Amino acid sequence: MSATESTATAQNPLGSVVGHPTTMLRVLNSEWVKTRTLRSTWITLASILLVIVALGVISAMVASGDISPQGGPGPGRARSLGPLATVLSGANLAVLIVAVMGSIAGAREFSTGMIRTTFSAVPKRLPVLWGKLIAFTAVYAPVVVIGVIAVFFLGMRVLDAGGAATVNWSDDGVARSVLGTAYYIVGLGLIGLAIGVLLRSTAASIGVVIGAVIFLPALATALLPSSWDEVLKYLPSNAANAFTGNGQLGGALLTPGIGFAVFTAWIVLAIVGAAVVVVRRDA
Amino acid sequence: MIEVQDLTKQYGDVTAVDGITFTVRPGIVTGFLGPNGAGKSTTMRTILGLDRPTSGTATVNGRPFRDSRTPLTELGAMLEAKAVDKGRSARNHLLAVGATIGVGRTRVDEILDMVGLADVAKKNAGGFSLGMGQRLGIATALIGNPGVVMLDEPVNGLDPDGILWIRNLLKQLAAEGRTVFVSSHLMSEMELTAEHLIVIGRGRILADVSMEGFIAMSSQHKVIVVSPDAGRLRELLDGPDVTITSTEPFRLEIDGIESPRVGEVAAANGLVLHQLSDIAPSLEEAFMELTADSVTFHGSVSHEGTAA
Repeated sequence: MSATESTATAQNPLGSVVGHPTTMLRVLNSEWVKTRTLRSTWITLASILLVIVALGVISAMVASGDISPQGGPGPGRARSLGPLATVLSGANLAVLIVAVMGSIAGAREFSTGMIRTTFSAVPKRLPVLWGKLIAFTAVYAPVVVIGVIAVFFLGMRVLDAGGAATVNWSDDGVARSVLGTAYYIVGLGLIGLAIGVLLRSTAASIGVVIGAVIFLPALATALLPSSWDEVLKYLPSNAANAFTGNGQLGGALLTPGIGFAVFTAWIVLAIVGAAVVVVRRDA
Repeated sequence: MIEVQDLTKQYGDVTAVDGITFTVRPGIVTGFLGPNGAGKSTTMRTILGLDRPTSGTATVNGRPFRDSRTPLTELGAMLEAKAVDKGRSARNHLLAVGATIGVGRTRVDEILDMVGLADVAKKNAGGFSLGMGQRLGIATALIGNPGVVMLDEPVNGLDPDGILWIRNLLKQLAAEGRTVFVSSHLMSEMELTAEHLIVIGRGRILADVSMEGFIAMSSQHKVIVVSPDAGRLRELLDGPDVTITSTEPFRLEIDGIESPRVGEVAAANGLVLHQLSDIAPSLEEAFMELTADSVTFHGSVSHEGTAA
């Protein structure tokens, strides 16, 4: 403390600031500031765009024979996925990235201790959860949507140029599958965020989201006898497969509409669980 | 104004706070003293609404803090300096916190300047020293210009300069009519800052008194004399109700005679005095006396009586 500073504070130690009521909008702004001031946010957004677009275009090039996989005979496995699944192949990796970012967005403040500062500023707490969910969606949804739409048109041009089969945006179910994929990616991010808040540990919530939500349904569908399909198709990623058109796992799927409703129900369930815990548990 | 009424907080089987009642008034610095594990932080966490009381109530300005419409301008608190995200700069941390009450860059820069962090405002909080982290925690608590300030161990990790600064700041805040509630396990620090004391031990209130009252509760006032004629002086002063001890040559510790009387006796007999002083028991001693039975975590040395 220099002498001048001491003199200044002697007259009016805290300045003359008058605070405004802590509204939902102000809490949302606070969460937005938190999101944009972490460098990892921007790095991740860039990598999501890169993964979705680059992997999709590369897959399209492989499928159309422009490039061949090492040792492979040219147009190989990728073509058997169908044009839509081929150009959206980057989405599988993007799902993992966004789910991890969601888990971090939910658990990070609990592991750093920042949550105590946050809850001291917003003791009602629930607005913080809403703020995090909205800020997360506002940051990731546009990038994911732009990514899948961009890779659809880029990828189809590549396939077309290579003489491979293509589909049109206006074809039955195509727009639904492309935008559904974006919804699945962002939705899993929100589930990750809710689980992060529930578990308060970045590592644990990443494990649960990736293990239990993404891989377990696929694994169970593949391993359990088909009599289980009636149950398994309601699991989050299987329900999502019904509207992303990414159902190469076999197993009976729900109709797209019901799949959408079931997947949405999973998101809501995770968020409600997080909300109950946020209000009740000691911070 | 902070009011705590019959507050009890249990974590599982452990009762951290056991039916305490006290009021923290505006206009003075109130010290919250207790050994480690006495329940200071738990009490503060409950006032702040971070922990739910098992029973009883804690209110800020007459209502639970959760019901505050402008939380940061009502109660500014620092419970632990590490309640920040290490990946964010001090400035961005304060921008995020300030956004909840609609204050922006101007205020953030002002408060950074006030706590002496202006030069490192753009550095990540993760690289901060303990003292810098403490200053950032204090900035976070004060950004909303709050009427009630609650700090848990604020001088932890501060250098002497910083300690002096926080001491003066707390006194100024109280002089402005704010409610200032500060915990510490360092009695010597409280002695210089607080006017009123709430002492807690094992989750119960042991004392809720003014600083003078607290010191008066302790019995040990002494006069210290250093004199080359200590032996002669001792003979002259000795009498009933007087206890004189000497731990080193030429030095007497006198209990039962006021220092002016000691000086007069010495002058009347032509004795040379090198030093004559009063010693009030330090707050530390008074505190030790009071909390001797309620310390949760004894060092092994204090268990010598029970050692086999």
